[in-house]
Amino acid sequence: MSDEANMSGADEDGFLVAEYALGLLSPAEHAALQERLRREPALRADLSFWQARLSSLDSEFAETPAPAAVWNRLEKRLFGTAASTGFWNSLALWRGLAGTAAAVAVVAVGVNIMTPRGVDPKLFASQLVAAIQANGTDVSFVAVYDPTTASVRLTALSGSAVPEKDFELWAIEGSNAPVSMGVVPVNGKIQVKIPAAALSGFGEGTILAVTLEQKGGSPDGKPKGEIVAKGATTAI
Amino acid sequence: MASDTADISHLIARCALRDRQAFRDLYTRTSSKLFGVTLRILRDRAEAEEALQEVYVKIWQRADRYVAGGYSPISWLVAVARNHSLDLLRARKPQGDDIDLALDVADAQPNPEQAEANRGERARIDHCLGQLEADKADAVRGAYLDGFSYEELSERHKVPLNTMRTWLRRSLLKLRECLSQ
Repeated sequence: MSDEANMSGADEDGFLVAEYALGLLSPAEHAALQERLRREPALRADLSFWQARLSSLDSEFAETPAPAAVWNRLEKRLFGTAASTGFWNSLALWRGLAGTAAAVAVVAVGVNIMTPRGVDPKLFASQLVAAIQANGTDVSFVAVYDPTTASVRLTALSGSAVPEKDFELWAIEGSNAPVSMGVVPVNGKIQVKIPAAALSGFGEGTILAVTLEQKGGSPDGKPKGEIVAKGATTAI
Repeated sequence: MASDTADISHLIARCALRDRQAFRDLYTRTSSKLFGVTLRILRDRAEAEEALQEVYVKIWQRADRYVAGGYSPISWLVAVARNHSLDLLRARKPQGDDIDLALDVADAQPNPEQAEANRGERARIDHCLGQLEADKADAVRGAYLDGFSYEELSERHKVPLNTMRTWLRRSLLKLRECLSQ
């Protein structure tokens, strides 16, 4: 600043700090001063002076209610779920569950602490869940066992429908033959009644698998297509 | 007003402890003010909404940086919103650490009289701005409240850029003397 050439260095710093507080510095000057502020307490004291004095102008910012959508987006971004989304519908939660076994454990702990409204924690504590997925495919589901109806609530997390084909869900207990639980949609939720043949042994460790079968499912009750996702049920 | 300040201070502290309900309360209590800040500086509703969201993400993530002291906690929040809006306006690289400098009360001014002094601040800055010529006071207010750059100020006041710079620097010198009394 040639017109300020008679200023001493301290004065020049004083201006820079005031200009910084007002937001008048160029991006480069701003970054350079910010770097110095970190190291020089005297400059920070000077900045505090200006910030404190200027902040008394803050009352001139007119209060303007923000649209509700901002809060909803914010909550979704920070906490992965918007308030209006029910617990069972939280895709983020299910995606979390569908991670590794470790992720399942972590999320299970988190879920217990959160104690979601409308869900009996005791009932939930005895819940069996399975993350159903496989390497090399983008098909993944989360299954939650509902003992009161002897059924499995299945939520598709990812995957896309294949023309002329259907996804079929299987329950596998130990070395027994897979028992078909029927055709399942790849882009939604479904409640699947556990077939009598699978119900007696259904519990922790039961493998749930999804295969890609001909339209309508395997005709003879035995899996024919490749396994696109599978997972073992775990108590949480 | 004093209890209001204590409440907001408390809510920020609860946010640092990851209390989501406190964060929701803080948002309910303060978002109109901060939206007023982003809207006034950015002058675009969609951008101001986006910025507001980013500002509260910062507040949630860095609530532990707030040091309850003499200054009003709402000043800290406004500073976060104002700095973020100015970063966007100037296309400055967003600096996460800016928040540390938003109101650096901790090591600069551990002054117990500060809170008392703050109550008279509004009257004081009005008085000191009143000592400046009207268009110069307007320039200072335009920079602080509207985020005007030197270029915008020189256009608005129809003076060359360097003249504006000299104006403002002289005004800041006077202002500093007056505000220090």
